[in-house]
Amino acid sequence: MSPELVSQLSVGGSTLVLLAGLAMLWRRGVRAHIGAFTAQSVALAATTAMVGWFTGDWQLWAVAALLLLIKGVGIPILLARMARRFGTERELEPYVNTATSLLVGGLLVLLAYLVTAPLVSVSQLPTRTGMPLAMGLVFVSLFVIISRKKALTQVLGFLMLENAVALLAVLGTHGIPIIVEIGVFLDVALGFIVMQVFVYQIHETFESIDVEQLNRLRE
Amino acid sequence: MRALFLLLIAGYVSGAAAALALGTGALSRWASALGAIVGASAGLALAAGACIRGAAFSLDAPGFFGPVGGMAFTLDPLGAVFLALTSLVAAPSALYGAGYARLWEGRPALRQVGFMLNVFLLTMSLVPLAGGTLTFLLVWEGMSLSSYFLVMTESDQPEVVSAGQWYLAMTQIGLACLLGSFLLLQSGGPGGFSALRAAALTLPPGTRDAVFALALIGFGSKAGLIPLHVWLPRAHPAAPSHVSALMSGAMIKMGIYGLLRVSLDLLGGGPAWWGGLVLALGAVSALLGVLYALMEHDLKSLLAYHSVENIGLITMGVGAGLLFGSLQMPAAATLALVAALYHTVNHAVFKGLLFLGAGAVLHATGMRDMNRLGGLIRGMPWTAALFLVGSAAISGLPPLNGFVSEWLLFQSLLPGIGAPSPLVAVLMVLSLGMLALTAGLCAACFVKAFGITFLAIPRSPEAAAAHEASWSMRAGMVVLAVACLVLSIGAFEIVPRLSSFVAPLVGVAGSAPSLSVGLALQTPGGFARMSPVLVAAGLALVVLTAWLAVKAFASRRPVRVGETWGCGRVVQTPRMEYTATAFAEPLRRIFAAVYRPSEDVSIDFHPDSRYFVQSISYHSAIVPWFERYLYAPVISRVRSWSERVLALQSGSAHAYLTYLVLALVLLLGWLVVTGQP
Amino acid sequence: MSPWLLGPVQAAMALLLAPGLVGAIRWMKARLQNRSGAPPWQPYLELRKLFAKEVVVSNNASWLFRAAPFIVFGSTVAVTLLVPLLAVPLPFDGAGDLLVVVYLLLLGTFFLALAGLDPGSPFGGMGASREMTVAALAEPTMALAIFALAWSAGSTNLGHIAARMLATPSEALAPGHVLAFAAIFIVTLAETGRLPVDNPATHLELTMIHEAMVLEYSGRYLALIEWAAALKLLVFFTLLGNLFAPWGIAAALTPGALLWAALTLALKLLALGGVVALVETHIAKLRLFRVPELLSASFILALLAVTASFLLR
Repeated sequence: MSPELVSQLSVGGSTLVLLAGLAMLWRRGVRAHIGAFTAQSVALAATTAMVGWFTGDWQLWAVAALLLLIKGVGIPILLARMARRFGTERELEPYVNTATSLLVGGLLVLLAYLVTAPLVSVSQLPTRTGMPLAMGLVFVSLFVIISRKKALTQVLGFLMLENAVALLAVLGTHGIPIIVEIGVFLDVALGFIVMQVFVYQIHETFESIDVEQLNRLRE
Repeated sequence: MRALFLLLIAGYVSGAAAALALGTGALSRWASALGAIVGASAGLALAAGACIRGAAFSLDAPGFFGPVGGMAFTLDPLGAVFLALTSLVAAPSALYGAGYARLWEGRPALRQVGFMLNVFLLTMSLVPLAGGTLTFLLVWEGMSLSSYFLVMTESDQPEVVSAGQWYLAMTQIGLACLLGSFLLLQSGGPGGFSALRAAALTLPPGTRDAVFALALIGFGSKAGLIPLHVWLPRAHPAAPSHVSALMSGAMIKMGIYGLLRVSLDLLGGGPAWWGGLVLALGAVSALLGVLYALMEHDLKSLLAYHSVENIGLITMGVGAGLLFGSLQMPAAATLALVAALYHTVNHAVFKGLLFLGAGAVLHATGMRDMNRLGGLIRGMPWTAALFLVGSAAISGLPPLNGFVSEWLLFQSLLPGIGAPSPLVAVLMVLSLGMLALTAGLCAACFVKAFGITFLAIPRSPEAAAAHEASWSMRAGMVVLAVACLVLSIGAFEIVPRLSSFVAPLVGVAGSAPSLSVGLALQTPGGFARMSPVLVAAGLALVVLTAWLAVKAFASRRPVRVGETWGCGRVVQTPRMEYTATAFAEPLRRIFAAVYRPSEDVSIDFHPDSRYFVQSISYHSAIVPWFERYLYAPVISRVRSWSERVLALQSGSAHAYLTYLVLALVLLLGWLVVTGQP
Repeated sequence: MSPWLLGPVQAAMALLLAPGLVGAIRWMKARLQNRSGAPPWQPYLELRKLFAKEVVVSNNASWLFRAAPFIVFGSTVAVTLLVPLLAVPLPFDGAGDLLVVVYLLLLGTFFLALAGLDPGSPFGGMGASREMTVAALAEPTMALAIFALAWSAGSTNLGHIAARMLATPSEALAPGHVLAFAAIFIVTLAETGRLPVDNPATHLELTMIHEAMVLEYSGRYLALIEWAAALKLLVFFTLLGNLFAPWGIAAALTPGALLWAALTLALKLLALGGVVALVETHIAKLRLFRVPELLSASFILALLAVTASFLLR
């Protein structure tokens, strides 16, 4: 597998991951968001597997398998269950409308390109070409968290952020040791369970998962 | 060459004198116009001599304003381009004005307009000819003041007075910045421009930055860059139409001339942030200009905002040129500056044409509001056709000149993507997107402007009674329309010449990049190639072939005339047509975040029952946000300070005498302290 | 064959194929929707009928109304002279590049919008307003996608882009190219009035964009405009097919190579037409104020295409 091919595939894989993230800004509806997250996790697993094939490191294959299982299958099932419970209410307008969100997303990608330019020029790895896109996804997921109103979408934003950091690690350093990776997965799973409880409590208190309702707690 | 220069001055002076001396009738009108035409032709010949034959010209007149340094005039190719475009717009506008001025027949305004117009044209033609700081500032201020008087021609209307106030304030602020800039520049050593050029190399970088910043503000306010453009949409509609054409076509270009002269020629280029700032300002001006133009339904305000947009496009070229120059990419810099200069000339021509057309509409109907016009194509066929040519040109449609310069501008931004600095690449990508969006929105706006004004059914009795413009007005417009076509087809000759003027300024060693091969334009490095001549010829050929084929093979049945389809309704009234506001409404909704329109709906119910509505009135206003957030606070702050200072004007003679004595004592004390004789 | 003859031959071929393309898409849509539908050569019959019919012109319309169909038709035919339909290098490659193509199409849209305003009907005004909005919003995407292509090919001239793609086939699946393809595909749907932006088969005036502008046209004028619309669709498909996957294009002007080029072009057109038919059957029309969201998404795709193109330097 030649370095040029790896370069192209890293860019391709990162683009798919980023596009799934941008789809979160474009599509409304919880089911579409969960679908975007699932597609993103699958793309991330595929990219990790590709890097694993290139470097011949079995740990990356294991990480890819874990990613697929946990984030590609497990968490979406849990999310779908949550959606069935809480997601049946009407569509909420985000703080920033769709077209503007997409344009802001584009600008964030350009910003990420500027920010990672020194990193890319220093690195020697053929996978470095996908790093700006991974960084772009970090910014885009942060934007999703701050600009969307539904708690479920914010949880998805957080999970996307985790995906972005994982992609950055894979592309920038060809992965991190598997012990650390398993630890990170455990953290994410724990965080997700906590958030699930949190969303449940919000729904119990306000009969909706609109995060703006939390303002009412002041009264 | 000197003879032409003297003829230029003589022509305008005689036109001014004729306006004053010959009364308020047709003779005065025609005599002042003739003087202006003579002056403009001399200017064109002078510029052509400098451009084509490379003849140098310089004249020193130490006799004028001798004690302060005397006046000096030189003409180099850069100045010649601006002199040429001024003259190119001046002659048709003067011809047009001869017929238009019938509006003031028998009134003193005729004398004033004739006199001031010639003074305005004289001082404006002398700006590119100025060879020293004093000369430049004198003719610059002369140009500003004479145009102020021209704007105030119809001073019986309150909005004209307000427009004049804004205009005067902005020009004086600009002048103050220019004074500061030139003073700093002269700190390296006094003298004409050639001495300044040499001395600028010795200036410290901080001073150079300050000179550039002040020049940008001063010249930018004249050119109409956002946010210093607020005078444009007020002054242009207030002025008489041929004056608007000159202001929009030639005067605001002097701002570009000044910017190029100071930053590129005198200072010799600077750090990359100069170019980046200018490029960013240009892109923002272009986009915001066209967005606000879309929402205007006053024909002349719309054209004024489009001037802001096109100045933004020109400034983008200038900024890209400065940026590439500082990044050691001379070929790309040449292309960008050539695109900017060419667009300057093109814009002068088609914007002049559009304003003259709008003036003809105003002259015929007495209205500028598009929502009350319509159907003028029947009563004013010549004006409509010429306005269509201008609209197509400004929208950048092939095969006219606007398209050629926009093509050059697109191509000039492309090398930036390959620049070494990623920040520059990102800036170029964003500018490209904004340029494309601006071009598309401009086309949409001119479909609105031409379609609502000239097509369909008249929306008011004045519009229905419109008559064609007089022959002199038509002749002026025809000259400009022909110039549009000539500038497009002749691009393969004009562009290389512009390149040879610009290349020395950006430090191209050896011969300038030719930018043209055969009948086609070509970017440096052979990246892209396009031939306006072949595109025009091909288009004409295909359309002709199609017409002939259809005539030969399609049905020979005569065309039947019937009612417009209205879903079965029988009568078509003007109230059923689309209005300008309705046409722009989708874009208003889409860009609502930029416009922040205020909407007010009030419903009058029937007195007896709330279920029946008597009338619904809808009122919507768009206040440009820089006026709300930038100018309004500044103006209120200045007003509150001046009210405090007003306390000094107590009216008591005693207080004034005390001030005098106090000032004298302080001055003497200062002299004692600093030990000066 | 002389290279100069190639231009008119290309234009003639495009004129012949365009109605067939529209008919094929309609036929495929019908089959997908379980209808038998009209035969694929129906648009030819429609054109023949329209050319023979009487022309009725509104009493409010001016000379612009009668001149516009010729300008629209002429500008679209002029574009076919510049697009690599059959062979590279093109004879008129030095006359116009991809920007000229985009602006010639804008010329047609400009005059069609004016012709919509001319009769003074509210439908025409509505169609013109919406059409110019969509056209203006699609411009940035087109410009960035052009530059993404041009940057990797080293020129904005179409012949060069196609030739460069032929020379380095591995670049075809580069992420920049795939993204640019997706962006231009969305712009194609917007500019040619296909679902989800505009419904070419609608009869409800409030849902029309293109149809509303041409509501007043009849007879030979309508024939010219319909033909020009079909030609515009063919041009966009050719750009998508022959710029991104130019295999099959003739490099020499021999009859065999040209025949093969025509055959592969027809196949690509049918393939793209099939995709469009699938998309049209699958998606409903977007509300007008959701269209900017779609076009912003395509702008982001084009932006990513540009950054991807010069990321791989």
